[in-house]
Amino acid sequence: MSEERIRELLQDADRAAEPPLFGQIKATDLRQRLRRRRLVRLGMPATAAAVLLLGFGTWTLHSRPEAPASPPPDKIASLEEQVRQLQAQTDAALQLVHEVLAQERQQQRLAALEAELASISDPREEIERQVDKTAFVLVYEADQLYRELNEIESAVEAYEQVIRLFPQNRWANVARQRLAEIRKVKINKSETEGDSKCGSQSV
Amino acid sequence: MLVERFRQGDDSAFDRIVERHAAEVAALANRLLGWPQDVDDVVQEVFLAALAGLKTFRGDCRLRSWLFTITLNKCRHHRRRLSRRPSHRIDETAATLCLNENAEMKAIDAESFARVRRTVQALPPKYREVVVLRYLQGLETAEICRMLGVTTNTLNVRLTRARRKLKDDLDGLMKETT
Repeated sequence: MSEERIRELLQDADRAAEPPLFGQIKATDLRQRLRRRRLVRLGMPATAAAVLLLGFGTWTLHSRPEAPASPPPDKIASLEEQVRQLQAQTDAALQLVHEVLAQERQQQRLAALEAELASISDPREEIERQVDKTAFVLVYEADQLYRELNEIESAVEAYEQVIRLFPQNRWANVARQRLAEIRKVKINKSETEGDSKCGSQSV
Repeated sequence: MLVERFRQGDDSAFDRIVERHAAEVAALANRLLGWPQDVDDVVQEVFLAALAGLKTFRGDCRLRSWLFTITLNKCRHHRRRLSRRPSHRIDETAATLCLNENAEMKAIDAESFARVRRTVQALPPKYREVVVLRYLQGLETAEICRMLGVTTNTLNVRLTRARRKLKDDLDGLMKETT
């Protein structure tokens, strides 16, 4: 059997069959079908996911232990208010503690500064002490001149120097007493010498 | 030209494409599916796919070849779907009855034509497709190769084997007619 014979046979058999039947095809109808099909393609997974989620949610809800009855809203509000008040009180107490601690720190610092200041000596007293010491030394030297060395003139100058430099000092008063004593001795001595001159002249 | 018009949003261009190619597409589907006559579902599917994909049609081949390729794929899918149905059996009775009405066929009677069609249907899909495309659709070798995605050698091998099988099955019939 040749190829051409097979071709003829097939074509005859095809022609002997009834022609194919198909309906009218319109672009608009096809577009609508296409849209529906896309919608179904998109919608199916979304619906399946939604159903799964719903099932899972229901299962979770039912498998969970019975939750205790919720308190009434008024009680909740009251409790919330109490919590808020406690919070405010706690904040205030904490602030007070902070303030007290800060004050204590300031007082401690002040006390330390005062102690440091107290340890420092008064400069006026120190000067007065030094002045008194100098006046004493001058009076002491003058006394030595007067009593031990019998240098009355130098001693008088020394006493007068103490009185001139430190007139308010107590050693200035001692110097004045010494000068008065020297003057008294001089007067007595001059009186004694005058009596002896008069007596020898009368004799 | 029609494709360009369709791409620019002219739906009437697609209607023109359907008018021009629907009969050929239906004939091819009818032959590939074993002459069931009612091929409306497959033709609708073919043009639905064409509508969805026409904007990406690159124009590497003729629109007719492109539509035939879609038809080929849709028919394969249709046959697979039918073969999964346990109650499905290709209805030969209808074809036979149709043939019986064509009494003017003198050389071979209706039963003989039905036998030829049964033989074609009984071929393995890859042989049946090349037989239909080559001898019934009258397509060129290059066009068939492009549609099936095979080389010329492969096509020739398939055609030779298909002819041999047809010859073996229809040998007695050929002797009777000659």
